[in-house]
Amino acid sequence: MKHFTHPLVLGAAALLLSSCIREEALNAECDITGFDAAWLQAKKDAGYPLTGAPNVQNDRVSHYVLAGTDRSALDPSFVLTPGASIYLGDGTGRTPGNGVVRDFSTPQTYTVVSEDGAWSKQYEVSFPYLFPIEDCAFEHFTLDSEGKYYVYYEVAPDGARQNYWDSGNSGYLFCGMAKTPEEFPTVTEPVGYRGNGVRLETLSTGDFGKRVNMPIAAGNLFIGEFNSAQAMLFPRQATKFGLQLVAGEPLYLSGWYKYTAGPEYRDIEGNVLTDRRDTADIYAVLYECDPAKFKALDGDEVLTSERIVSLARIDKPGEPQEWTFFREPFRPMNGKTFDEARLAQNGYAIAIVATSSRQGAYFEGAVGSVLYVDELHIEWKDTGDGSEEETEDTL
Amino acid sequence: MKQLTHTLRRTAALLLAAAVAVPALRAEESPKNGIDNLLKAALHGWHVKLSAGFNLGGTSPLPLPREIRGIDSYNPTMCVSIEGAVQKRFDDSPWGMLIGVRLETKGMKTDATVKDYHMEMTERDGGYMEGAFTGHVKTKVRNTYLTFPVLATYAVGDRWTVSAGPYVAWMYDGDFSGAAYDGYLRHGDPTGPRADVSEATYDFSDDLRKFQWGVQAGAEWKAYKHLSVYANLEWGINSIFPADFGGVTFDMYPIYANVGFSYLF
Repeated sequence: MKHFTHPLVLGAAALLLSSCIREEALNAECDITGFDAAWLQAKKDAGYPLTGAPNVQNDRVSHYVLAGTDRSALDPSFVLTPGASIYLGDGTGRTPGNGVVRDFSTPQTYTVVSEDGAWSKQYEVSFPYLFPIEDCAFEHFTLDSEGKYYVYYEVAPDGARQNYWDSGNSGYLFCGMAKTPEEFPTVTEPVGYRGNGVRLETLSTGDFGKRVNMPIAAGNLFIGEFNSAQAMLFPRQATKFGLQLVAGEPLYLSGWYKYTAGPEYRDIEGNVLTDRRDTADIYAVLYECDPAKFKALDGDEVLTSERIVSLARIDKPGEPQEWTFFREPFRPMNGKTFDEARLAQNGYAIAIVATSSRQGAYFEGAVGSVLYVDELHIEWKDTGDGSEEETEDTL
Repeated sequence: MKQLTHTLRRTAALLLAAAVAVPALRAEESPKNGIDNLLKAALHGWHVKLSAGFNLGGTSPLPLPREIRGIDSYNPTMCVSIEGAVQKRFDDSPWGMLIGVRLETKGMKTDATVKDYHMEMTERDGGYMEGAFTGHVKTKVRNTYLTFPVLATYAVGDRWTVSAGPYVAWMYDGDFSGAAYDGYLRHGDPTGPRADVSEATYDFSDDLRKFQWGVQAGAEWKAYKHLSVYANLEWGINSIFPADFGGVTFDMYPIYANVGFSYLF
């Protein structure tokens, strides 16, 4: 027996196997992993008004700039997957793309080709303006670049597409449960309160979700960014709530919703908690940020951070089966008051959040809970002329 | 409990071997009627052998695909084999043959580093995902087979016998499971959305093929009149997964050395 476990024997066996390891293949990935830090720093040092944080998605890279900034001659540099190359446009001209001056008044296309040359990916790179948010009617939606799930956006006064909204759909993709865009947790409801609305449903993530200890996915939609790459490791930290879309002091969050809780409320282990019933959550949170070093509130701190200035939330949304109007005031938190001087420095961010399971971020809730939301609206102080009227109108 | 089941199964295999052995012995004792004579003729020169040994090896793709960048650890685990066989040496010839039945476990544990390792997951509840994983993969294989070797033997001098031939095997208990950990998955292909993974377990036990066949070759050295030691190489010819199975995209073959001792009646 002894000789079978002798280290020499194991070593020999391992050596035998290792000797069969073949030459490493060239990298097949072709990502823009981020803006070149030196380029970003140089722009900031030169006083170029980049705001917020870079947003790096699988096929899109953007960085907000203050509205009105000249974007006609920018020369961004990017960090790529090792060995990959970046070209202008669709890459057919093989014109190297890093550091080339282009007119970003409209988004520009780049193509990244992998080291092994077998794979390539087109990126849309943009420097969008930030415009304060006001009405969210959910009429603007499309499918993601692979056509798998719904994504929502707003249209800026200049006609540009503003990707303010994100959801957990890009994470749900990985559990493989959804075969069509309609089977994702966050989908468009064609019969909203007015025009289209959104339908958020808490869904099971199936066997795969169970094995990574994420048994459910609540339908959600929020202003901010969902980093699906990090979602399996740090699901709450991967959710970045809020952008610098603040027009003034927010007074009310209003909108229309209806809700049905799923039949069985379960904890993360899958135990049915018979004394619990699922609850929807709709809120807006205003918080302080450092304009020079924007850091969004993540899922762990979005309702508890000391940076929160005020919060508008439906405490007990209940289960209205018909479209129901709500109008919640922003209630001060942490003893903070709104400061116009801070606003002038772009030092506030706001998030609007809707989810079909209030504890969904902790993977607690009832599969089958459905929240419909439409016509969300932020009433800003001093801009209330039109909004007050609309409120009465919708009532 | 599982250990007990294994012991019971092994006992059953021993009994099976004995059942083969008994008529062979009796035939030599009492040749009374025609049937016995026929048996005697048929069994003339057959000898019964019981063997016990260990399997040491791997269940592996051949050659290792380029996606496997390193084997970080390998553990052959404790894999036992018990065999009952009848063998016969043809008259005036070094040649002979052997027919056996062997209860054996072929297993291992490995930890490998992989890059762009294609994987496909089909869940019982309908979940389906395909992608490329870069990171670490732990694999545990533990398959128990009832194996039937049919070998040609060749005696070299008084003490050495070499043998070679095919075997067929029926897998009645299989475990192929593990985890992908500390890495990331690209959805679909290397350009797809990325998800970092701390650990995702997998279990392909139910997808294992029941039927296996292969070839074996080896040598036996007679240490005493009744006792010999042996070493065989068993090389699986068909993949442990069916061709249409996408969870592991390359064919995997059980390749094991079987070493042990035999008792010759």
